[in-house]
Amino acid sequence: MVAWFNVMVSRLRGFFRPSTLDREFNEELEAHLAMAEEEKVRQGMSRDEARRAARIELGGITQLREAGREARGLPWVDPFLLDAKLGLRMLRKHWGLSLVAGLAMTVVISIGVVMFAFFELAFQGILPLDEGERVVAVEAWDVKGRREIDTSIQDFQRWRIEIEALDDVGAFETVQRNLIIGEGAFDSSSGGRVELVSVAEITASGFRLARVLPILGRTVIDDDEHVSSPPILVIGEEVWTSKFDRDPNVVGQTVRLGATTHTVVGVMPEGFAFPVNHGFWTAFQRESWDHLSAESNSTVFARLAPGSTLKSAQAEVAALGLVPSAFTAQAIEEGRLVRARVAPYTLALMGDFDGGQMAWVARIIFLLGAFLLAPPCANIAILVYARTITRQQEFATRYALGAGRRRIVSQLFVELLVLAGVAASVSLLVAAFALKRVSASVNAIAGDAAPFWFDFSLSLRTVLFAAGLAVVAALIAGLGPALKATGRQIESGVQSLGARTSAKLGMTWAILVVAQVAISLAFLPLAVELGWGTIRQGVLGPGFAAEQYLTAGLDLDRRSLGMTAAEADEQYALRFGALQTELIRRLESKPEVRGATISGMPGAEPWVRIELDPEVGEEDLRSRDGGRVNHVDAGFFDVFDIPVLAGRGLGQPDFEPVRRVAVVNKILAQRLVGGRSPLGRRIRYSGQRADPKAPTLAEDWYEIVGVVADRPSNLDHGTVYLPAAPHERFAATLSVRFAPNVADAAAVLRDTVVAVDPEMRVAEVELLSEVYRGQQVGNNIGAAVISAVTLSVLLLSAAGLYALMSFTVNQRRREIGIRAALGAQPSRLLGAVFKRAAVQFGCGAVAGVAMASILDYVVPAERIGGWSVPGIIPAAAALMLLIGTLTVVGPARRGLKVQPIEELRDA
Amino acid sequence: MVDTRSQILQGTLDLMVLKTLEQMGPLHGYGIARRIEQVGEGALVVNQGTIYLCLTRLVQKKWVSTEWGKSDNNRKAKFYAVTKAGQKQLAAEAENWERIAGVIARVLQPVEGS
Repeated sequence: MVAWFNVMVSRLRGFFRPSTLDREFNEELEAHLAMAEEEKVRQGMSRDEARRAARIELGGITQLREAGREARGLPWVDPFLLDAKLGLRMLRKHWGLSLVAGLAMTVVISIGVVMFAFFELAFQGILPLDEGERVVAVEAWDVKGRREIDTSIQDFQRWRIEIEALDDVGAFETVQRNLIIGEGAFDSSSGGRVELVSVAEITASGFRLARVLPILGRTVIDDDEHVSSPPILVIGEEVWTSKFDRDPNVVGQTVRLGATTHTVVGVMPEGFAFPVNHGFWTAFQRESWDHLSAESNSTVFARLAPGSTLKSAQAEVAALGLVPSAFTAQAIEEGRLVRARVAPYTLALMGDFDGGQMAWVARIIFLLGAFLLAPPCANIAILVYARTITRQQEFATRYALGAGRRRIVSQLFVELLVLAGVAASVSLLVAAFALKRVSASVNAIAGDAAPFWFDFSLSLRTVLFAAGLAVVAALIAGLGPALKATGRQIESGVQSLGARTSAKLGMTWAILVVAQVAISLAFLPLAVELGWGTIRQGVLGPGFAAEQYLTAGLDLDRRSLGMTAAEADEQYALRFGALQTELIRRLESKPEVRGATISGMPGAEPWVRIELDPEVGEEDLRSRDGGRVNHVDAGFFDVFDIPVLAGRGLGQPDFEPVRRVAVVNKILAQRLVGGRSPLGRRIRYSGQRADPKAPTLAEDWYEIVGVVADRPSNLDHGTVYLPAAPHERFAATLSVRFAPNVADAAAVLRDTVVAVDPEMRVAEVELLSEVYRGQQVGNNIGAAVISAVTLSVLLLSAAGLYALMSFTVNQRRREIGIRAALGAQPSRLLGAVFKRAAVQFGCGAVAGVAMASILDYVVPAERIGGWSVPGIIPAAAALMLLIGTLTVVGPARRGLKVQPIEELRDA
Repeated sequence: MVDTRSQILQGTLDLMVLKTLEQMGPLHGYGIARRIEQVGEGALVVNQGTIYLCLTRLVQKKWVSTEWGKSDNNRKAKFYAVTKAGQKQLAAEAENWERIAGVIARVLQPVEGS
């Protein structure tokens, strides 16, 4: 191994300074010859004889020099560079093919590389802390369900005390709190500031584990974890700057988180955001609890002790086992296997994966990329083959001059590798751009800052991944044509050197062209409908004054009410409901507010299967449709100006108590009952994947009491509106319509909420128009991908047809020439020449229309997020016809320019 | 006339060159070639040029070091010397060779009694 390494280093050195080594080698040989000559002269030979004998004994000097050069440098690099240079020249010469093939490769490689780049970003990060790779998470793990279950306090305590392989065992939980700085700050008029912030409740060990010291004051210490300790707060440098103007006396000041007053005890340095993306830290006080989690989920972290590994820690934790608790008992009762596991910290935080699985995910992404590459690269292979055929003479000549088949195949492969390399480089730029965009808009997408270990630059592994895909692309697109073109044909090429190419495009070619036209045509309508469905809302806009509406998620801190477990659920719901009612009342009393309503998130309602209760005689025609369901309050239709078209809207009597009535929008009514009236009919809904044959329960059904107009923003979706009492609305979205031009409506909203109850929180306060725009970002990316794929498929088809036409004309030049000389009309000649192509094209078009129609029937565009475009199939066929005609123009012109005299002279 | 001289067995030139350098100390390429020929007493065909390719390989593996110097007749020449790693390799290869040669000798030995 050492010797091999030394050889490689030495060869590399030799590669970069060949002339010095050549010179030394020559000097050495000269010295050898001189010494041999002198010895032979001393033995009695004449000088000439001695010189000749010395040369014979040494062997052929030229060959020796060549062999020496090969032994010293990297012999395969020169031919490779030469092939790459030739490849670049061929790409420039056949620029049309290069462009089309390059675009197709770029599109597919980009999809793979972007996927991989995001995978790297999300799952392959290492904590940027001292020995960050040794930080782990410890979890109670449901093996079959592949998810974490709640950790009991007993397990947490045992891990802290008993596991020797782990140091600094601790826990954190992210909670949302209203941050109030300043006195009496329930109203913006009093000068106070209210803001919803993410706070890490964390054990003191978290700071020991991070090995980062505060720039002011102290961090959380062990004593802070006692329930009786006064509430403290550690802030980050950014918070210190933005909220306290870098006040050096910030330590000792108080702020309020919800209703609790906390004393600021320290400031952490810039860039410190452990455990995830935090700028506020309070102590983790769980002494009196039976499990760790307060609101959503807590995470136990630790650092591997010196000398221990992930494996040894895992073994120790597994040997210790889990203390039976309510959570494990429930899991075991359900037949699930629960064990404790130790996982790399970043991996555990990002999802329910194992380290080993990650390697598989990377491989699957690669295979998927390679799989996606297959169709376009097969297309490119066809084009390359057509071009290769026209180069038969070149290959035959090289073959005759002694170049082996391997050499010619490698040349063709390197040509394609150059092209794929360019495509991969472009795809890396695309990935870098995508990462940059995401890093800029991560707040908009995730609603929070990115985890602090996210590295938005391209990783080396991503670059290698792109290189790997480029090699696969070159193999698929280049190897087939190269092997075929250098097979038997090359021998016949040698025999007919000097004559015109005798290669033929056989039946395989014809089938490929037909298939290409058919498949392009089959998917074109669906692609257009999908693309239009994706960008339609962005292009047309929501259709109402969405910029006047402010939306926000509404939540109530359960713990601060003194309620901890499920026992208080009902109490909590009633309290939250009462607060919602009070909030609506207060908001609507403000002059700048036109109306307020609480519902599910507009535009993001859950997608369900909606079913109509069949009447007598309709049993076989069970009407079902997919749509959205929204739980709304009585004011919803008024606030959003949705007119009632038939029956009635939802009124107060529907809510107290809640009646099982429903209002549907026009499009859903149309889909369920056609032209008839839906009023009085019953519907029910279930999750999209629910069993449609499940027994019907009477309480599932809702009676339709009204039909409302479609909201332009969701025109394509059937929507059912159901009344929900305030205490039933847990995932509540507050929508407030403000009068136009109200300054700082968001502050009015926040202050009103905090004035009702400081423990009630509003999150993601946004204009509805912004919400729609945010949703459109992803849609636009999707539409761009669909467009790029469609365009590259169309271009490849066009290029394939063009290659066929060009080849046909080239092959029959002499025939055209002779027949033209005999007086045939050029146009009729061309007609005959293109007949074959026209037949192939026609077959492809007919098959394509049939396939498109079947596809439209089996997968209606609306089902997968598209928007039906009338007459799209004939339009697509016409487009393909146009493309076909355009591809004929160039070769046809060349055909018409054939000079009979020249062709006859060559004959 | 039948040429009774043998070609050098493939892979054994490295061994011979290393052994020569170990025995003789630093030598130039011509000296190594002559020494092998002398030891072979005319029974070996040595293509002198291949000695240089062999030396290039050994130098790359760092089994042999080089230094420019003056030959006996005052000519500038490159001298080769075996390194510590080269000595280790030589010991290993010599042992291996002896084992193989022993096996071949046993195989070729006439069976007793036949």
